[in-house]
Amino acid sequence: MSVVTVVRRAVLWVPDWPVVAAMTEAGLGADVPAAVLHGRGLVAVSAAARAAGVRRGSTRRLAQRACPELAILPHDEGRDSRLFEAVAAAAEQAVSGVEISRPGLMIIPADGAARFHGSEEALAEALVTAVAEHAGIECAVGAADGLLAAVLAARASELVPTGSSREYLAPAPVDSLALAAMERAQRQEAERLASVLTRLGIVTLGDLAALPFADVLARFGPVGVWAHRLASGEDLAPPVLRRTEEDIAVEHVFEDPAERIEQLVHVAKEAAAALDRALLDAGVRCGRVRITARTEKGQDLERVWRTDVGTRAGAFARHMTDRVRWQLEGWLSGTAGGASGDKGPEPSPLVSLGLVAEDVVPLGSEQAYLWGGVSGADSRAHRALERVQGLLGLEGVLAVAEQGGRSPRDRAHLAPWGQEAPPARAIAHPWPGRIPDPPPATVPPVARPALVLDAGGAPVTVSRRLAVSAPPTWVRLEADPADERAQAANRHPSSGHVGRVEGPVWDRARPVESWAGPWPVSERWWSEDASRRAYLQVALRDGEDTVTAVLLAYGGGEWELEAVYD
Amino acid sequence: METAEARIARAREALAGVQRRVGTTRDRWEAPTLPLTPLLDQVLPQGLRRGQVIAVAGSTSLMLALAAAASEAGSWTAAVGMPALGAVAAARRGLDLARLALVPHPGAQAAATAGACVDGMDVVLLGPRLALSEADRRRLASRARERGTVIVAEGSWTGAHTTLTAVGSRWHGLGAGDGRLRGRELTVRIEERRGGTARLVTLPIEGAALGGAAPPRRGAPARSASLRALGGAA
Repeated sequence: MSVVTVVRRAVLWVPDWPVVAAMTEAGLGADVPAAVLHGRGLVAVSAAARAAGVRRGSTRRLAQRACPELAILPHDEGRDSRLFEAVAAAAEQAVSGVEISRPGLMIIPADGAARFHGSEEALAEALVTAVAEHAGIECAVGAADGLLAAVLAARASELVPTGSSREYLAPAPVDSLALAAMERAQRQEAERLASVLTRLGIVTLGDLAALPFADVLARFGPVGVWAHRLASGEDLAPPVLRRTEEDIAVEHVFEDPAERIEQLVHVAKEAAAALDRALLDAGVRCGRVRITARTEKGQDLERVWRTDVGTRAGAFARHMTDRVRWQLEGWLSGTAGGASGDKGPEPSPLVSLGLVAEDVVPLGSEQAYLWGGVSGADSRAHRALERVQGLLGLEGVLAVAEQGGRSPRDRAHLAPWGQEAPPARAIAHPWPGRIPDPPPATVPPVARPALVLDAGGAPVTVSRRLAVSAPPTWVRLEADPADERAQAANRHPSSGHVGRVEGPVWDRARPVESWAGPWPVSERWWSEDASRRAYLQVALRDGEDTVTAVLLAYGGGEWELEAVYD
Repeated sequence: METAEARIARAREALAGVQRRVGTTRDRWEAPTLPLTPLLDQVLPQGLRRGQVIAVAGSTSLMLALAAAASEAGSWTAAVGMPALGAVAAARRGLDLARLALVPHPGAQAAATAGACVDGMDVVLLGPRLALSEADRRRLASRARERGTVIVAEGSWTGAHTTLTAVGSRWHGLGAGDGRLRGRELTVRIEERRGGTARLVTLPIEGAALGGAAPPRRGAPARSASLRALGGAA
């Protein structure tokens, strides 16, 4: 499962990193008031300048009025990250494996490192000492469960005890969400969200975490989900100690537009070999290859091929040569349909061909077994599901689990794939009155209406004392919406309807072969969603030797189809 | 005087012995299979071959039974367009719910969704009301053949390798107001794309497989069945 567990982490934070980096490069002492200017405002201010009254975000003129001797330094993101490498190297003297989430902020998975140093206090001390000694820079270290709590703890140089991140975060203002944003675009979104939340009266992270998750998702979308999870002290992703890989692309431009397949075979081979070489040079392999081509008429064609062939011994190059050749043949002859199922492009000479390797992973993380089959089947499945979630939205793919309950519908627990599910009801509890096994294979998401009739055609009822008014003899279920005959029959005046059909469209009445019940289930009588129902297992005769078994429920004077044993 | 069947059986055995000795058990080699529950041995005697399309009409239980043993042995299963799939029934059949993903309402994206699932999963169950054109189905089938995925589609599918239709179903255990559903015998009509006449097989699909009281199973005795299951999971 791709559910992210909360990881205990230590965060190393260098206050005002852009200005510290700029001062280091300019050779200024730490006591000189300095600020970094970007565009129209200051993006970072040194401690001395802050003491003199210079604020982040103010303009150059305002800052110089507050502090005339202020050194104003240019903004340079490259310099920030370059110099932070030295800090990371210094920190690596004390721990192994750090994740630089942005210049000035470093994440260290705390568990192992703290065990090595003896305690988290010792780890923090070792980190601060190592950075001060080797990089000559003062930093602050904090530790907590979850990303945001750890960042806030670092700013306060605190160690938040395990399991109390949520309480620790609760009084913090919603503005602090921006501190966990690692890119500028994300930071702007977080700031915008915080301002909306503040205007709505949600001032602290505790208020935000108290809102229902689904409502936050509905109102604010992905950024709301991100904020809600952070505010609840959860993690978005486990710390990644390697950089993500870029897609690798190879392009070939034809000197003359190619219109015959013979011209292309050689090119396909060369392009595949070039991509193979590029992948090997980068020490990676790929899960998908996107083949793109441009026709003489300026039309762009593209198709994605999935590949699981390793890059060993040229197998990948051979495999891809075939794929590229097939694809080009299809495009040239005009037989290949587009990806969306529409008519294929007009046959036309090709002027360029491109191959892009996607789903790039480091070599060796997905090793093939000796005899076929790929050990990375799990990650492949996860990638496929993530792609479907990209198509249909987060709720489009569901994970299912079994939970305790009485009716078949209650016993299934659905949650969006990859999301942490709320705790299911325990299966081990006794659940008296549970519908006995075998479980039905078809359980409609909502119960469908049904009619249960006695031999005379009158509705069967179940009294409060569980007496069935008459043996059920006929059952009418809802008709298939595609069944025109049933629709027409329901429109017929003899069925009691004239004109448009209101309510359910009934299928023909089916004779009951045998039945069992009623089994009473009275649930949650103390609460609003109390239900008092009686269940009936009924076997319906459908034809010569076909019997369909269904589970019907009676409650509030109505029968409902709960499940079909098909 | 031995009968013709016995002679053919003896000849086949001799041939199989030679094949084993030389190491050319051809169909095993060319068509890797996924594990299949012993219950369905008579339905698919050649096993659950990777890359094939099986159309199933009239029984969700049968679809689940087809996917069960493979899922238990570590395969991934996706159910596309089946909002009414009973999760408990799937778990009892032996599917591992941790490796089962449901895409209940793919809507207009049915082709893309099914394609992605065929790419990444080992067994894909397709519901009856998916917006798939004939061309989409052909493309899915060829993708499944290339990827070694098994497609189990509810309803009809032109060009399916095997079409299974539930033609008869019989339940035991219910009376007139008493008892409960206990056992079920399902009669399945099997049509192969390769031609040949349709076969009818009756399976004790409920009861025996679930360990309840059930009529004795035909076909393989229980002991060899459990051995088969172990071999499939290994």
